[in-house]
Amino acid sequence: MSELSVAPAQDQDPPPKAPIWEVRGIFKVFPGVQALDDVSMTVFAGEVHALLGENGSGKSTLAKCIAGVHQPEQGEILYKGEIQKFRHPMDARSAGVATIYQEFSLVPSLTVAENIYLGRYPRTPAGTIDWKIVRQGTQQVLAQLALEIDPDVPVGTLSVAEQQLVEIAKAISLESSLLIMDEPTAALGLLETQHLMGLIRRLTTQDKAIIYISHRLDEVFKIADRVTILKDGKWVRTAPISKLKMGDVVRSMIGFDIEQHYPKQDNTRPETCLRVENMSTESGVHDVSFTLHVGEVFGLGGMLGSGRSEIARAIYGLDRLTSGIVTFDGQKTGFRSPKEAVAAGVGMLPENRKTDGCFFNFEGPKNITISRLKDVLQGPFLSLSKEHKYGLAYLQRMNIPHTALDRSVQYLSGGNQQKVIVARWLFSKARLLIMDEPTQGIDIGAKLEVYNVINELTAAGISIILISSDFPELLAMSDRVAVVRDGRILEITSGAQLSEYQLIGMASGVGKSEDGERTSAED
Amino acid sequence: MERVSKFFRSTVAGPLVALLVVVGLVTLATDRFFMMANLSNVSLQVAPVAIVAIGATLVILTGGIDLSPGSTVALVCCTLAILVKKMGLPLPVGIFLVLLLGVACGAVNGFLSTYGRIPSFIVTLATMSIFRGLAFLITGGTPIFSVSDALEPIFYGKFLGIPLPFYYVVVFYALASLFLRNTIQGRAIYAVGGNESAARLTGLAVNRSKMVAFLIAGLTAGIAGVLTTAWLNSGSPNYGAELGLQSIAAAVIGGASLVGGYGSMVATLIGALTVAVVQNGLNLLTVPASWQEITLGIVIIAAVGLDMWKGTFGRSLARIFRQS
Repeated sequence: MSELSVAPAQDQDPPPKAPIWEVRGIFKVFPGVQALDDVSMTVFAGEVHALLGENGSGKSTLAKCIAGVHQPEQGEILYKGEIQKFRHPMDARSAGVATIYQEFSLVPSLTVAENIYLGRYPRTPAGTIDWKIVRQGTQQVLAQLALEIDPDVPVGTLSVAEQQLVEIAKAISLESSLLIMDEPTAALGLLETQHLMGLIRRLTTQDKAIIYISHRLDEVFKIADRVTILKDGKWVRTAPISKLKMGDVVRSMIGFDIEQHYPKQDNTRPETCLRVENMSTESGVHDVSFTLHVGEVFGLGGMLGSGRSEIARAIYGLDRLTSGIVTFDGQKTGFRSPKEAVAAGVGMLPENRKTDGCFFNFEGPKNITISRLKDVLQGPFLSLSKEHKYGLAYLQRMNIPHTALDRSVQYLSGGNQQKVIVARWLFSKARLLIMDEPTQGIDIGAKLEVYNVINELTAAGISIILISSDFPELLAMSDRVAVVRDGRILEITSGAQLSEYQLIGMASGVGKSEDGERTSAED
Repeated sequence: MERVSKFFRSTVAGPLVALLVVVGLVTLATDRFFMMANLSNVSLQVAPVAIVAIGATLVILTGGIDLSPGSTVALVCCTLAILVKKMGLPLPVGIFLVLLLGVACGAVNGFLSTYGRIPSFIVTLATMSIFRGLAFLITGGTPIFSVSDALEPIFYGKFLGIPLPFYYVVVFYALASLFLRNTIQGRAIYAVGGNESAARLTGLAVNRSKMVAFLIAGLTAGIAGVLTTAWLNSGSPNYGAELGLQSIAAAVIGGASLVGGYGSMVATLIGALTVAVVQNGLNLLTVPASWQEITLGIVIIAAVGLDMWKGTFGRSLARIFRQS
């Protein structure tokens, strides 16, 4: 699969002129985390500079510092050699920084045109908004992107991919010298991605500088001129992409070999835990079949929007099945609600533990016992002393700080919050655990703890469905991996037999056969 | 010492201090506050608000709001008056039926705001109008006086020299607190208000929990309606107009968060007492009604404001001390 490391379009080294944008010695601390530790980088006009690193390596934080969202504790941001002070995103914007965030900044109830000109509506001499210019400008920028989107429809009615493109159009319509793109293709299909690549090329010929953040290394190798790699908030290296191979990049990002990083145990037993046969849902799962063994970690690998989360949701009773059979523990199920799933012995670690997992109004013990309150009953009433005792036992077992005993879990670190939710399902004696992005946004040490927890769970006979965008992690920690695209399982293989590049290739649909198509898109 | 510091970190500390300040101010302004006759008066005044505030707190804990209990009270008063005086039903039967009516009103609110997916603010804004409109409809707009001689002892009766409404409040709050702290359903109400999505994913019955909160809110409005009828021995469609907002005020002064998930029965009782003491104090000082309403509004803002700003104050103080 070395074909993925296509040579960049411009082979020469970046021009020897002075950088248009520069950051020097940036430090940024979040409670409990050194997010950026003396990071510097330069960006030249007309350059695509890729910013790479694992989740939590600090690349989004660096982008947000440049965009004025975060204020670094130390360090300087320079435009044409002059120090800039950004106290607010508006400061950065007026200095010429346009940003496309992973999270959308669009107002769903406003139209495409209204969103693109939000906060800077042109005025007529009478002081009212000049809708003619708004419409013309919008049509112009949409045409530039080769997008067939009606400027007058509310953004909320568009698909996620279209919204992402509107987000990009909005950033491009700003007069800017630097464009920061944070995972711009995460929600895009192949065709839209190709549009975007072509557009980026055009922007660089207009001498705009672009900082490009992406997990998709194949894209980076296609579009970037130079690469800066961060790891754990520290600068690792900066190099022209022509001097790098994909293997170098991965090694710099992870820092050591995957085998050492992931303490994987094989605890698979021959008995079947879950059998899914020809499952389809309205939410876009098509004819999915697989068998999960007791103590096995079954990985669902795919891009965002591939349907991997929808498969998990269907099993957990969140989405209704339109056809197919799900058998759990020998019982035909097809859970109609999470309530039924939980009662049968299934648990879920949701992707977003803040909005879907933790109860911040509860202390640790209450967060744990909530999955099976009847075990805390003494007669008809909850015994708070019994709850306290259980809480303490599970905090100890999961190695969670005891401050969580009588304080809200909002004061715990992300990793410890995750462990509280794992403890919740241990308490409910779940035999199948669905983990959706269990290590997202937590630091390396906490990740390692999560991996050890996975081993501990599977050793105890708990089966796990693992969803992760961190492909090395997914491959290393899963006994088997299903490659998911467009709501279908393309292939199921053992995690060890699949390489990250193969997984990316299959999951994104950029196989060998499509090489020709890809090169043509670059022209 | 540890106990003391734990108390001051607890959520009840702020509201309790606010109550003590209000009591202190009233005592300074008039020497009649701590007289037995006045205290027993306070316990009569506080009863309807306090009991309605039980339901208000439960609904607020789930993240909803109930604007309608005042109108439910009016509807219950008028219905009880009609059932007993005009239709000649025995009083206990009438009371039983209007309590059911209260629960039914709660059921309408609960059903529309959960299964009907209309925000509870809108639903109860509408039923606030509907229930009072019904009260006017069934009475033709005229109050019904002298409903039953058997009614008055329910409100004015005494046990061991203490008015009965005092016992009602104590008993209902004890029951509500036990329900909220020590039952699975009570815990689910906190969970749903704290994080509805997490509650659903943890397998809790979200809609049922909200429904239960509204049903109890209907029941407590019904009880307050019976008490009000007994208090005045009459039923009028104008009764209870202030109860809806005062019950929310009680919960909020007690520290309940309108976002849901935070609050407790003890705290709400403290809030209800604060409301009652403010009113009582102003009555003793013969302050006109207009100023009573204005003062109550200021007390609400001050109590909640102190709670919201204490973190900011604390941080600023800490910063000043660090720098010096």
